[in-house]
Amino acid sequence: MTRIAAALVSLAAFVALWKLVTLVGGYPDYILPAPEVVAARAARAIGSGVLWQHTAATLLEVVLGFTLGAVTAVVAGIALAKSLLIERVLSPYIVAAQAVPILALAPLLDIWFGGGLLARVVICALIVFFPIAIATMVGIRSADPLLAEMLRSLGARPGQITARLEIPSALPVIFGGLRVGVTLAVIGAVVAEWAGASLGLGVLINIANQGLFDTALMFVALATLAVIGLVFYGLVLLVERRVLPQS
Amino acid sequence: MQSTASQTADPASGLDVHAERVGVQFSARGASVEALRDLSLEAPAGSFTVLIGPNGCGKSTFLRLVAGLLRPAAGSIAVGGTPPRAGDRRVGLGYQQPRLLPWRSTLENVALPLELRGISTDESRARALEALARVGLAAAAQLRPGELSGGMQQRAALARALIDDPPVLLLDEPFSALDALTRETFDGELQRVWLERPRTVLLVTHSVAEAIQLGDRIAVMSAAPGRVVRSVEVDLPRPRPAELLGERHAAEIASEVRSLLAAVHPAELRPWGEGAA
Repeated sequence: MTRIAAALVSLAAFVALWKLVTLVGGYPDYILPAPEVVAARAARAIGSGVLWQHTAATLLEVVLGFTLGAVTAVVAGIALAKSLLIERVLSPYIVAAQAVPILALAPLLDIWFGGGLLARVVICALIVFFPIAIATMVGIRSADPLLAEMLRSLGARPGQITARLEIPSALPVIFGGLRVGVTLAVIGAVVAEWAGASLGLGVLINIANQGLFDTALMFVALATLAVIGLVFYGLVLLVERRVLPQS
Repeated sequence: MQSTASQTADPASGLDVHAERVGVQFSARGASVEALRDLSLEAPAGSFTVLIGPNGCGKSTFLRLVAGLLRPAAGSIAVGGTPPRAGDRRVGLGYQQPRLLPWRSTLENVALPLELRGISTDESRARALEALARVGLAAAAQLRPGELSGGMQQRAALARALIDDPPVLLLDEPFSALDALTRETFDGELQRVWLERPRTVLLVTHSVAEAIQLGDRIAVMSAAPGRVVRSVEVDLPRPRPAELLGERHAAEIASEVRSLLAAVHPAELRPWGEGAA
């Protein structure tokens, strides 16, 4: 409860400061619209159904992209941790792919994957992949060798050691990666939409910005993205608390 | 693989452990380190053998050989006439650290050996509860290792090692991290558990008092590369109390063991100031 109260107070303070800046600065709406202007614009966008249309498209990309990215990253992270050969062969490519800006890769991937939802999901998954794969690899490797020896002495097979020791030991670190990954998923979805889409909050930002100089609508889209990020981050935290009883 | 029924048929069972001129080398960064050389040891079925020796003499390495976690480079090792292999069900293992999985309850930790073999959850839990009751931990079944004291954790580890009723029990300094009082209680309980259900035990320790209280014989090992220098028989009646060393014959055995230890590892046991070798 105190947590929610703190969040509300902080939000109120933020809006108040924002209002103060617009009052003192007296900026035109296309540079910095006042909070009530943005609120009115949000009400119109919600009322017309436009905001929801774009939000739904982005949500779908985030959910599918994050799921695809996280699942492949956990599998790859385990493989990287278990096999020195796989790590030596693959890790340069993984690091290189991460070092190339996703913004530059996105148009290429958009062409390769047919420019539809699949392309956007792949772009989103790609940006999610790296932190989760690395966290999984580090987590799996952090398993206590003394516990592994104990399991071997009990006749555990390699798969049983992975399931009963390595994955549970890695979970706290994997969840750290998932928290980073889920916020990146939102960025990935927007970048993918910029590379080619007709719907989505990234598209809405472009429309508001380039076509209409509707800065208030841009603010509405940005705020919606922020809320999506917060909600998904919160969901990951919630799952983490359920799965990790010790935390 | 022997069936459980034939193992439990003879209450004084256990399997003999036989090591014949065993040698082990480790290679670390190109250099080869000889851990054991020409180690021979005979532990008859149902006997309690204590291994004692200086730090780094390969006592733990020897236990890992008997557990089948390591293969000897030279010589041979046999449990009940056949070489042990990793995951050998004839051998239970207790370590210096309890080595419990921290995210599992005590009960789930003790049930682990059965679970790994694919025994049903109901049966393995029931047997784990029995095993916990034997070491006086039934009330802690649902607690996690982090909620147990060091002594309770070691009890749980002992219950895990004994759950499958292995004919051979290997204990690698299981009480060394416990305070002196807890340790004495533990030694007494270990003796009780063993007297109730004799099996072959190999116990590694640094404590001469513990060795004399528990062992049928004490195998004194040399510094690395380790081998058994001498086996000292402990012909004292059981059950033996903790204050045993006050008695004359026990004290004689203790001083014999101490002088053997001093001979194999003079540098560590010599009083300060007499000069290093």
